[in-house]
Amino acid sequence: MEEIIRLFPEGIQHELNSRIGNRWDQLQEIRLRLNRPLELIFHTKQEWLNQALPNKLDFVHIINQLSEYSLYRMEEELREGYMTIEGGHRVGLAGKVNTLNGAVKAIQFITFLNIRIAKEKIGVATKIMPYLYHQGYLNTLIVGAPQTGKTTLIRDIARIISTGWKNVPAKKVGVIDERSEIAASIKGVPQHDLGLRTDVMDACPKAEGMMMMIRSMSPEILIVDEIGGKKDVDALLEALNAGVVVVCSVHGQTLEELKKRPTIQALINQRIFHRYLILDSTLSLGRFRGIHDAEGKRMS
Amino acid sequence: MQWVGALLFICTTTWIGFEWSNRLANRPKHIRQVKNALQILEAEMMYSQLPLQDAFHTIKNQTPFPIHAFFDRLYKNMNQESKDFGIVWQNSLDELMDISCLGNNEKEILLQFGQTLGQHDFLQQQKHIQLAASHLDRELEDASEQYQKYGKMTKSLGVLCGLFIVLLLL
Repeated sequence: MEEIIRLFPEGIQHELNSRIGNRWDQLQEIRLRLNRPLELIFHTKQEWLNQALPNKLDFVHIINQLSEYSLYRMEEELREGYMTIEGGHRVGLAGKVNTLNGAVKAIQFITFLNIRIAKEKIGVATKIMPYLYHQGYLNTLIVGAPQTGKTTLIRDIARIISTGWKNVPAKKVGVIDERSEIAASIKGVPQHDLGLRTDVMDACPKAEGMMMMIRSMSPEILIVDEIGGKKDVDALLEALNAGVVVVCSVHGQTLEELKKRPTIQALINQRIFHRYLILDSTLSLGRFRGIHDAEGKRMS
Repeated sequence: MQWVGALLFICTTTWIGFEWSNRLANRPKHIRQVKNALQILEAEMMYSQLPLQDAFHTIKNQTPFPIHAFFDRLYKNMNQESKDFGIVWQNSLDELMDISCLGNNEKEILLQFGQTLGQHDFLQQQKHIQLAASHLDRELEDASEQYQKYGKMTKSLGVLCGLFIVLLLL
C-alpha cells in the first residue's frame, strides 16, 4: 500500500501506519476532511483517527502528490471530481466548485478527499465461467446494487476470457472503461490484470467507445460497465448486430426491477442477453443471488 | 624585482576588470536564457501537458549552461520523494545564483514564480509564467543598459587602476 501511504505528509503517514497495521486488506476507504479527524472505513466497521486532523497545508501536500506538482494537468479530474492513482485506487474530490455558463469547470478548493482502495480479486469469476459459455460466449448482463462487486467481477471475467480457461481458448476482449474503474488505467496503461488479449479504451464514453472498439480493434467480446442511457443501449444493439458478444453490468437489485426500466426492458424483452447474473449486497463480495437464462428462468 | 611585482599587480587588476565586465555582459545573456526556458515550460505545460518533472527534463535538454544545470538539478531532486517542491526549487535557485551572473532581482522573481508552479490551472499558470517573463524583461532592459554603460569602462578601469596604484607605489 506504498502508493497510498506516500500521498500523506509524514505525521499522518505515521499515524496511519500504526493504526492500520496489518489490516490493509480490510480497508475500503480513507476519508479526509479539512480540520476534522481522519476517517477509516473497514469492511465491517468505521474508525476515527483523532490524532490526525489534516490542515490546509496537509491538503496542499496531498494534492501536490496526486498531481505530481502539476495541478494544471488535472483539469479533467477536477471537473469529474475523481482521479485514478497508481495501483488502480481512486481518489474522490470535493470542495468549492467553479462553474462556467452553468457547467462545472473545476473544483477549486479541495477540502474533502475520499481515497477508495482498489481490490483486485483475481479468481472471483472462475466459478461462474461455465454458465457464461455454451458453444461460445453468451451475452451476459450483471445486475447489482453499488458496492456489490460488479466491477470486480466484470474485471475478472475480462481477465479469464482473454487468457482462456480449461479447454476454452483465449479470445480478443475489448474493454470500454468510461470511468477508469475496470482497468484503472494511468496514461492508458491498465493497473489491473486484464489478461493477455485485452485492449482497453480508457475514459471513453461507452456508446462511442463500443463503436470505436469494433471498428478499430475487432474484439470478439466487448466488456462494458454500467450501461444505462438510451445511447448506451443503442450502441449495444449495434455491437450485437456486428456479431460481437457483450458482457456488461447495470445498477439494479432484481430482474423484475430492471424490467420496469424502459431502456433495459427492451433489451430483456428482445432476449438480447442469454445470461443474467444477479449480485447480492448482503452476501460477501462476488457472491450471487442467482444466474438466470434468457427467459429469466433460474439456472443456479 | 619591483618591476615583476608591478607587472603582476597590473595583470591582476586587469583580470578583475575583465571579469567584472564579463559579468555585466553575461547577465543579460543569462536572463534571456531563463526567459527562453520559461517559454519552453509554457509550451510543455499547455500543449504537451507534461507533469513538471518531465517538463524540466525537456527544458534541461534544450537549454545551455548554466540554466541547464538548474533544471537538471530540479529534475533529479524531484525524484527524491516527499520533499517539498518549494524547497527543491529554492535550493536549485541558490545553486544557480552561484554559477550564473543573475542578480538578486532575478532571484526574487524566480523565487516568487516557483511558489506558483504547479498550484494552478492552465490559465492561471500561463498568467504566472507571463508575469515572470515580463518582470524578467524589465530586468533584461536594466541589465543591457548597465552593460552598455559600464561594460567597456570596467575593462579599462582595471588596467588603469592597476597602473595608478603602481605609479603611486613606485
